[in-house]
Amino acid sequence: MQLALNDDQTQVLDFVEALARPFVSAPLHDAGLALESAELDAALVENGFLDVMAVEELGPVTAALVVEKLARLPFAVEAAVSALVRPLIGPDLPRPLCLVEEGRLSAPLRFLRPGATVVVVGPGGVNSFTASEDMIAPAQEDTLYAYPVAFLKGVPGDVTMHDADPAEVTRAWRVAMAAEAAGLLGAALASVVTYVSERKQFGRPLATFQAMRHRLAEAQVVTNTAYWLAMRAAASGTRADAAMALLHAQEAARRVCYDYHQFLGGMGMTLEHPLHLWTYRLKLLTAELGGRGGQGLAAAEALWG
Amino acid sequence: MQFEWTEDQDAFRQQIRDFLHANLPDGWEKFSEHGPASPALTAFARSFCVTLADAGLLFPHWPRDMGGEGLGPWEQQILSEEMWIAGEPRGGQYMNVNWIGPTLEKYGTAAQKARYLEPITRGESLWCQGFSEPDAGSDLASLRTRAVLKDGRYVINGQKIWTSYAGLADTCFLLTRTSDDRKKGITIVLVPMDTPGITVRQIPSLIGEGDIHEVFFDDVTVPETARFGDEGQAWEIVAYSLRNERLGIPRFTLARAALDRAVAMLKERGDFVREHVRIEAARCAALCEGAGTANYAVVQKRVDGLAIGAESSSARYATVMAERAVCEFVVEFLPEALAGASPYLKMHHQRGIVAGIAAGSAEIQLNIIASDVLELPREPR
Repeated sequence: MQLALNDDQTQVLDFVEALARPFVSAPLHDAGLALESAELDAALVENGFLDVMAVEELGPVTAALVVEKLARLPFAVEAAVSALVRPLIGPDLPRPLCLVEEGRLSAPLRFLRPGATVVVVGPGGVNSFTASEDMIAPAQEDTLYAYPVAFLKGVPGDVTMHDADPAEVTRAWRVAMAAEAAGLLGAALASVVTYVSERKQFGRPLATFQAMRHRLAEAQVVTNTAYWLAMRAAASGTRADAAMALLHAQEAARRVCYDYHQFLGGMGMTLEHPLHLWTYRLKLLTAELGGRGGQGLAAAEALWG
Repeated sequence: MQFEWTEDQDAFRQQIRDFLHANLPDGWEKFSEHGPASPALTAFARSFCVTLADAGLLFPHWPRDMGGEGLGPWEQQILSEEMWIAGEPRGGQYMNVNWIGPTLEKYGTAAQKARYLEPITRGESLWCQGFSEPDAGSDLASLRTRAVLKDGRYVINGQKIWTSYAGLADTCFLLTRTSDDRKKGITIVLVPMDTPGITVRQIPSLIGEGDIHEVFFDDVTVPETARFGDEGQAWEIVAYSLRNERLGIPRFTLARAALDRAVAMLKERGDFVREHVRIEAARCAALCEGAGTANYAVVQKRVDGLAIGAESSSARYATVMAERAVCEFVVEFLPEALAGASPYLKMHHQRGIVAGIAAGSAEIQLNIIASDVLELPREPR
């Protein structure tokens, strides 16, 4: 048991932080509901931060740490699947990667665009194809989810079959989503804490009212445990840990997102405050892989048969 | 960052399990229903802890100069986990090795160490913690039990409540008021429980026999040398002790073990097929494991020699959430467990429901998290 960051991990996270520094503030007013940055994406690729899992001394926990840290940024990056799942399927698959469950092809897909690799995971196997313009139906322009999303119109006849265990890919998928959710939970909490500490009503900061303090403290507890469960799932590689990590993160997201917008009042309904960038990403992640029920059943199966 | 136990730690855990297997009597599970503070379990613990001491397993985590094996906080954690999962056969003596001994070592006089440490190391002493009062629960600093120094002796008058183990303890770690200065007016006195003027009344409870008491102090007189630390130093000492105590009971491990037991019973009767039951069980498991890792992150700080701060309150609140979820799971899906079908699950329930109350209420933990983890501006007083 060694729960402190090792020197390599500290160094990688310091590099990521330095690289992400220009992207820590959200542009206000002119930002749409979704926000991403090709420049940030290119910098991450160029510096190899999405490939740390394959580096022996770094591995999956460092990859999860990177994903968690990037998810805190207001800019959405397709990092989680590339960093934690792609190595299991095909390390050279063109990014962004869009994972989709067989039978759930009508779901809104994050980062789907021409040139993206769509990976279909089903009980029988894992296959992929490169999305082209004619396969994609754009989501409506003011989609709330704060990720770029689109829909698949169809699947091509010829797909690439991968020699990858679908159960193992699903496990890594859960770890990836749990790590991303952990970062989103952390950033959303930090942003609400700042707001309610500054905003005054009745002559004192909102954060001095116990009605908010206790709910925010509970949010801190579930955010903290979501972080640790995600890291442990990355480290252990077990299906039970992965399913529990995503289940807990999805539970936490449901619990906190409502409160956070509530605490911001009208400001939480505007695009002038960046809160929605984290909460509406979290909301979409709560639908991933069948939601809490899907994770719960998977965890129960792995834990108790 | 890695989450595996070392081979030595696994071997240590196995050593404890083997010891428990060899030294717990037949029918132990049914027996442990008595509760850690009951006369029956206290009597058992008095012989069990002597055997534990002989095997070097009573306080292996203490430093060598205190007579321990010098093992670290992880080993203390493993020891606590295995004992708690087994129904805590050390009874109230777990407090001795978790915080009373280390606190004596840090703040005690030479005479106090000589008097109190040795019986602890022999597994022969039982302490109680005289903290809460009828009007001083979560607001501990408003306590009123008064100790007046007169002619080299403290004369103590007042009342404590909720005091676990009081009926059978040898010594009370007693908080008293020596001046009206709120926190700085509180002083610790170590009071032998057979001192004239002490009256103990047990309060029947949901959490097992012998667990909750009122203790009355009427002109109880002890020498000045019974004072522990300086006058007014109690708040500092208690903060040190409670940081150990809050980590002390690894409740999440028993909650997880109880959950596994409940699932096994449900499977046996073919009831672990309903999806909502399986999902709820998984939710409970995630809460237990989340609490576990949050607690381990705090232990890590202790291993690294760092000060433990408010994150222990966060870990503790996570444990309260896990305990609550498992207690509710059992009641909803295995109601018969609390009515005789499972002594183990009843034992868990009785220990689990107190998780958010004992050692500082859950709401106080939330206050601490809000102020010291989230660093929110403080509430006006």
